[in-house]
Amino acid sequence: MSVRTNREGVDESVDLAGIRLRNPVLTASGTFGYGTEFAPFLDLEKIGGFVAKSLTLEPRFGNPPPRIAETPSGMLNAISIENVGVRAFLEEKLPALPEGVVVIASAFGTEPSAYAELAARVTEHPRVAGIEINASCPHVKSGGIEFGQDPNLLAELVRTVRSATQAPLLVKLSPNVTCIADMAKVCEAEGADGVSLINAVQAMEVDVETRRPVLSNVLGGLSGPAIRPIALRMVWQVAQAVRIPICGVGGISSAEDAIKFLLCGATAIQVGTANYLDPTAAGRIARGIAEYADRHGFERVADLTGALENAQGETMAKSGE
Amino acid sequence: MVAFQTQPETQTPIRGLARVISNQPDGNGFKLRLEVDDWPGSSPGQFLMLGAGAVTGAQRQDPLLPRPMAVYRDASIAASAAATSPSKSSIEVLYRVVGRGTTLISEIQPEQEISLVGPLGQGFAVEPGGAQALLVGGGTGIASLFELANALAASGRAVTVMLGARSEPDLIGLKDFETLNAEIVCMTEDGSRGAKGLVTVPLVERLADAAADTIVYACGPTPMMRAAAELAEAENIRCYVSLENPMACGFGVCLGCAAPRREGGFSLVCRQGPVFESSEIDWEGLP
Repeated sequence: MSVRTNREGVDESVDLAGIRLRNPVLTASGTFGYGTEFAPFLDLEKIGGFVAKSLTLEPRFGNPPPRIAETPSGMLNAISIENVGVRAFLEEKLPALPEGVVVIASAFGTEPSAYAELAARVTEHPRVAGIEINASCPHVKSGGIEFGQDPNLLAELVRTVRSATQAPLLVKLSPNVTCIADMAKVCEAEGADGVSLINAVQAMEVDVETRRPVLSNVLGGLSGPAIRPIALRMVWQVAQAVRIPICGVGGISSAEDAIKFLLCGATAIQVGTANYLDPTAAGRIARGIAEYADRHGFERVADLTGALENAQGETMAKSGE
Repeated sequence: MVAFQTQPETQTPIRGLARVISNQPDGNGFKLRLEVDDWPGSSPGQFLMLGAGAVTGAQRQDPLLPRPMAVYRDASIAASAAATSPSKSSIEVLYRVVGRGTTLISEIQPEQEISLVGPLGQGFAVEPGGAQALLVGGGTGIASLFELANALAASGRAVTVMLGARSEPDLIGLKDFETLNAEIVCMTEDGSRGAKGLVTVPLVERLADAAADTIVYACGPTPMMRAAAELAEAENIRCYVSLENPMACGFGVCLGCAAPRREGGFSLVCRQGPVFESSEIDWEGLP
């Protein structure tokens, strides 16, 4: 296989919900720590940016072990938003990052006011380019997914956070709903600048020898290549339903995977579980997207968004109708 | 008592492809020898994340996750002592086939490649001075102890390595340990090698007349490490354990390998460990 280099001329940059990214590759919250963990492996300034581990107002311990389990083409996790808290994030984690790195913070809480306070505090910091609200953590007993599964609660959450910050606001959606497009419409109506989807798929695994659930939390979130076609379908459906930009997430481990999401309507993508297996994955995917754009005659990577065609060569996207 | 807490130097890890030199059965286990470009060198007790099988054209998606493996022997440790820094280095991993991932690793042929991230984690602190070191290894936990035994012997300690297994062929790596400047004591559950019984039996004997500055180092199944730790703590002897929790990344981001601490909260086995002073660990909370 020949190695192609990105010729000058392909514009890799994209605008995601008002955040200028040098390329459309972000990394997903909860799979990239606070960024510095990847410094030995990856030039953080060569990827679009990263979404930091979800924060709560106070530091938080996670679930007891076992917290993870391997499943076919994927893994389950039930970590439960273990994080350093907003103060340590602002005072210790952010200053440790190189200047040019685009950082999107992720907010978690058990009530809308907590999300809003957190969003206001982190987006005041000049190094924070935007905020993603985690309305979809599948394994926390209260908060998170409760908001992501009830359109009224989701509307209240987005409205409350929106009133607290002018910064670019993304909402990370849960796949554990009947109609994810309806949830995206709620976010759009309440002033979100974009949606990220999908979070992990609620799942379970059992050890038959011990006759016990594998995870201490019983339920966990499935991630990895196993969920990629589900995520792709949902991105496609949401792209047909809203005009705000979409950040595609779910099982992306190659440039080819990422391009599928762009073609289905995503403006940017997030690499998640693949970071664990290959901490250089995000850089490799960013290069591969640029090579693809060049090879297919796209001058701008942004033009890949929604470029899916039917058998007659007609564009299939009907964004926001 | 003044505790010399000499934290081992940790090198910046690399992510790369290693070339397989050999992958030979060793008793009921396997010894995988790798050649790694730009290997920064490891310290005793550090580990690697190894891909679950050879690198082929397509990215492996099932099984998905890499496998944490102790660095068994690292030629660069001896090389750096001789003040050379080779760009290619040879390292070894000792493992047993326990599931699909290790089955795939056991099928790798020489000249094939395997993905690797490492060296990772905080290894054993090799403390200067002191009379005696008691090393307790069980199962594949034996693999974490070879470079440690070597380094302790070189530092002038009297080293006793107690190895326990079900049966003689499970004492993987034994021939290598026998080349060390250390006393080797084998215990098997069926009596096929050494005395019949658990590896904690000779530990009890050695602890009974141990000097105060003796240190116990243990790696193996959790019940074995817990027993070793409790025996040592009862005699006021310091004990280090190397934990083997499941993990997805190995470098502190998946948070899957959390081990509960006696004082509350968790430590990450991959980053704060895998080696801990045994008094830090809440054994009841460890699955």
